[in-house]
Amino acid sequence: MKRSSSLTRSSLTSSSHTRSSLTLWTGGVLAGLVALLALVSLFWLPYDSDDTSGGRLAGPGGGHLLGTDKLGRDLFTQLMTGSRIALESGLGAVTVAALLGVTLGILAAFAQGWFDDTLSALLDILIAFPTLLLAMLIVAARSATLGSAILAIGLAQSAVVARLTRILVKRVLAQDYITASRTSGTSWTRVVAGHVLPNIWPTLVVNLALQFGLAVLAEAGLSYLGLGAPPPNASWGRMLQEAQATFTTAPAGALAPGILLVLLVIGVNLIADGLRDVLDPTARKGRAAL
Amino acid sequence: MTRYLLRRLVFLLVSLVLASIVLFVLLRMLPGDPANALTSVGASPEQIAAARHSIGSDQPLPQQFTHWVGQLASGDLGTSFVSSLPVGPEVSQRLNVTVPLTLSAFVLAVLVAVPAGFVAAYKKNTWYGALLSGVSQLGIAVPVFWLGMILIAVFALSAGWLPSGGFPQDGWDTPADAIRSLVLPVVTVALVMSASLIRYVRSATLDVLDSEYLRTARALGSSFGRAMWRHGLRNAAVPVISVLGIELASTLLGAVVVESVYALPGLGSMLATGIAQHDYPVIQGVLFVSTFGVLVIGFVADLVQRIVDPRLRGRLSGGGVR
Amino acid sequence: MNPNLPKKPLSVGVLTVALAVTLAACGGGGTNSASGNGSYDKNAAVNIGSLYEPQNLDNTGGGGQGVTEALNGNVYEGLFRLTDAGKVDKLLAQDYKVSGDGLTYTFTLRDGVKFHSGKALTSKDVKYSLEKVIAKDSQSARKANLEVMKDIATPDAKTVKVTLKKKSISFVYNLSYVWIINADAKNLKTTEDGTGPYKLNKWTRGSALSLDRFSGYWGSAAKNKQVVFHYYKDATALNNALLTNAVDVVTSEQSPDALDQFKSNQNYKVTDGDSTTKLLLAFNDKAKPFTDVKVRRAVSAAIDDKKLLDSVWGGYGKEIGSMVPPTDPWYEDLTDVNAYDVTKAKKLLKEAGYAKGFSFTLDTPNYDPHPTAATFIKSQLAKVGITVKINTITPDEWYTKVYKNHDFSATLQEHVNDRDLVWYGNPDFYWGYDDKQVQKWVGQAEEASSTQAQTELLKKVNRKTAEDAASDWLYLYPQIVVANTKLSGYPLNGLNSQFFAYDIKKSS
Repeated sequence: MKRSSSLTRSSLTSSSHTRSSLTLWTGGVLAGLVALLALVSLFWLPYDSDDTSGGRLAGPGGGHLLGTDKLGRDLFTQLMTGSRIALESGLGAVTVAALLGVTLGILAAFAQGWFDDTLSALLDILIAFPTLLLAMLIVAARSATLGSAILAIGLAQSAVVARLTRILVKRVLAQDYITASRTSGTSWTRVVAGHVLPNIWPTLVVNLALQFGLAVLAEAGLSYLGLGAPPPNASWGRMLQEAQATFTTAPAGALAPGILLVLLVIGVNLIADGLRDVLDPTARKGRAAL
Repeated sequence: MTRYLLRRLVFLLVSLVLASIVLFVLLRMLPGDPANALTSVGASPEQIAAARHSIGSDQPLPQQFTHWVGQLASGDLGTSFVSSLPVGPEVSQRLNVTVPLTLSAFVLAVLVAVPAGFVAAYKKNTWYGALLSGVSQLGIAVPVFWLGMILIAVFALSAGWLPSGGFPQDGWDTPADAIRSLVLPVVTVALVMSASLIRYVRSATLDVLDSEYLRTARALGSSFGRAMWRHGLRNAAVPVISVLGIELASTLLGAVVVESVYALPGLGSMLATGIAQHDYPVIQGVLFVSTFGVLVIGFVADLVQRIVDPRLRGRLSGGGVR
Repeated sequence: MNPNLPKKPLSVGVLTVALAVTLAACGGGGTNSASGNGSYDKNAAVNIGSLYEPQNLDNTGGGGQGVTEALNGNVYEGLFRLTDAGKVDKLLAQDYKVSGDGLTYTFTLRDGVKFHSGKALTSKDVKYSLEKVIAKDSQSARKANLEVMKDIATPDAKTVKVTLKKKSISFVYNLSYVWIINADAKNLKTTEDGTGPYKLNKWTRGSALSLDRFSGYWGSAAKNKQVVFHYYKDATALNNALLTNAVDVVTSEQSPDALDQFKSNQNYKVTDGDSTTKLLLAFNDKAKPFTDVKVRRAVSAAIDDKKLLDSVWGGYGKEIGSMVPPTDPWYEDLTDVNAYDVTKAKKLLKEAGYAKGFSFTLDTPNYDPHPTAATFIKSQLAKVGITVKINTITPDEWYTKVYKNHDFSATLQEHVNDRDLVWYGNPDFYWGYDDKQVQKWVGQAEEASSTQAQTELLKKVNRKTAEDAASDWLYLYPQIVVANTKLSGYPLNGLNSQFFAYDIKKSS
């Protein structure tokens, strides 16, 4: 079999075990930081979300760690509630992508010839079709809510997941013993449940973790364009958009949400990297072959 | 090869037709009326009916569809509901911004990512190898629009070296202005793109470095450079090329965020405006052209892969295992 | 008379174009900001930055507010024009006479006027242009007003005689919105043939529209050689363009956030002119609980408009107590009628039977300042026990749901035009204010014999609608123009969103 380099593959080294746990830990700490912020925000916030007593565009300090927005609301409070939206959109989109993408991918893998060609070409088109424009269409149909944004991101990502699933399933199906069991009349559902899923899930989990980070970025982008969570919800993307006008005069508001966003995404990506080294069977097999 | 090309071509056409039918139906399912964009608040029912009639949105769907296909067949992308301008020339005017932007960003990203990814893999145990990996991690996590905001603040507003946005009205007739206005957008896209490319190149290189044939070649006495050149690069290139194809295709339309940060009149912003106005001819036209572009890029990527790696030539379509 | 929509930065810019709605053209002499020192470059190119790109170039074909800004008075001219003070001046009409019964208007056209195509202006062109506005497929927002015309005759090449169905005191004013177009011109949505001081050079959709000085202009030539309108989709990109000298002037600032950097910079001048744009919390007066005057008054009294204005505009703009902006002849300061008073609001709610409050959905267009205002209103009304559910919608949805189907409880919307009080005389308008007395006054005002009588009647309408809290008029927008100090002679009060460029001088 050709050595494949699926997008989730990485290399292995002798020290990979210690390195992967270090990666996992770093990622865990970064993402955990944001998760903690979100968790705390459920029980405690420095100010009420609607509290406009802070005065228009106050600078950092004086009881407001990052200052206030133009309605006088505390920016740090918004940053905290914003972490919930970031995590929600990551989880939501990945769930949609997993359910839809895996089903579609398995179907495509079992399909043959022209049908397979066409399906995978359509997936390619869908993959190239930006999440953003899909979101615009969905927003045009359903109005701008966090749900619309999550749905759009999830749909776009399901194409990527479907294609990966298709490749993985095909690889499993190509194994001799599967071919044998299929010719001997084992039903497709049993093949899927008994052989396919157990073989593909580790790679899928790793990829879904990567998709989580991408979903968080995508939601921020949509909110930046006014297509994400509507006000008064504080999405980090929206906060950045609002702070843009005062970037030079009040940089804190334009930097803090961006930095948290970067930390969360790096954290999640590191977790994915770490998981891959621990979980990915192709990688394990590769190591054994060396 | 001829049979492959032929099949690929038929397949391209089928996909195009399929995609445009799906698109046509989906668009018509959207709530909202394209005539809304033309009527003013205060419009009487009579004025609304007149607006609907003038753009033909009062016609039955099959009729609208055959009308559109008929136009397409004669190479006409139709006329915008809202502006009454022909869609074709506007698309090509927008492509004059989007294609140079995408291609130069792509070339720049490849120029940066290929050596950087190779070094990150080959020297992964050195501090600069690790630094390169770290930087690419950071690059993947940075939102494009935020990077754009920061670059504008630094290079346009503070330093005053480059324009903060916009594109000259005369376009490439004033090449110096056109180039200046594309520098920051290109850098923005290239930075983000190269971050993810570095990771792919790095992982593909690592695969090759660990591979048996490279070890065998070296054991047989080839120098590292020679072994790498003859076997390594070729093997590493195949997966990277397919990723490159996808990156290029999604940047072509995905440029809408960059276009909005830098106020560029590109294809993405044309589509966004079209969607907001329910301007079906514009949406259909842009998506038709870009779907075509995506398919062609996929085709080219597949072809290049075949040239690079002759073993793939037995495969018929691009839909195979990548 | 019509809400104006596209206002938001990029995000919405993208979406709002959907609903660019504006009245037809109007003229207006620009009161100029600064006289300048006299030495200026006669062949300068002036770069104007704007958020309002035309949808097409025809103001009877859905061109939107952008086409008024770019072409009105610059490329096209009317028989009359509206000055900044709200006064109607003769433009292409040399003179006019009204018959004793007020039903026949005879216009004499100015001599020596040429279209950009070279053809001389005749009465036939005027007849064609007037008929175009009231044609079946016309999208002009003035169509309903001008349908009062019964007959248009052209006794000779210089005379136009219009007979009305009934008296219309606003007829001449409404004519200031009608562009005079060459009767032989084609493709008016993408090209032009007007009589103005500029002719269209090129429109690059999504980017810019440039106008060149017309050498055959009948009046005094434009004080610059070329003007280019550069279009941006969000305010920040526009401000950045001004800061980096990509544009010389911004026609209308939509956010105060960036103003500090211009005010503190000697290279820029910030001016605060008169605006006619009002932000409305429009109740559906036909839907419970807003059928009850007391509820509407309670809501109006529970919202601190001054604090809202300060939040959104940071010290700019004005409080307003009714639909009438100070530039309208029938203006009266009615801010005291339903002034901010929480105690009174609670008392009114109790009287109306809502002592424990109620809850309603506020349909909020998704572009600034609406979401900000909605958030503010929500927190204010919570204090009197009213729960607001914010429903964010696109302009397109707003148009279908609120404007066409009247399917809403309350909504936020900006209304841009002057003299739009009269909409309260139309019970079928989206807010559904239905008061027989007001309708009668509005009708009588239109058929009044003198502007004085008209003004008296509309003042009554003004007071009555304010007392009824027909809507809650939150505030009057400021009209902020920011320009490079090299520029002088630009208009300060973009009345009804026009922007006359011909007097702009640019020093070298």
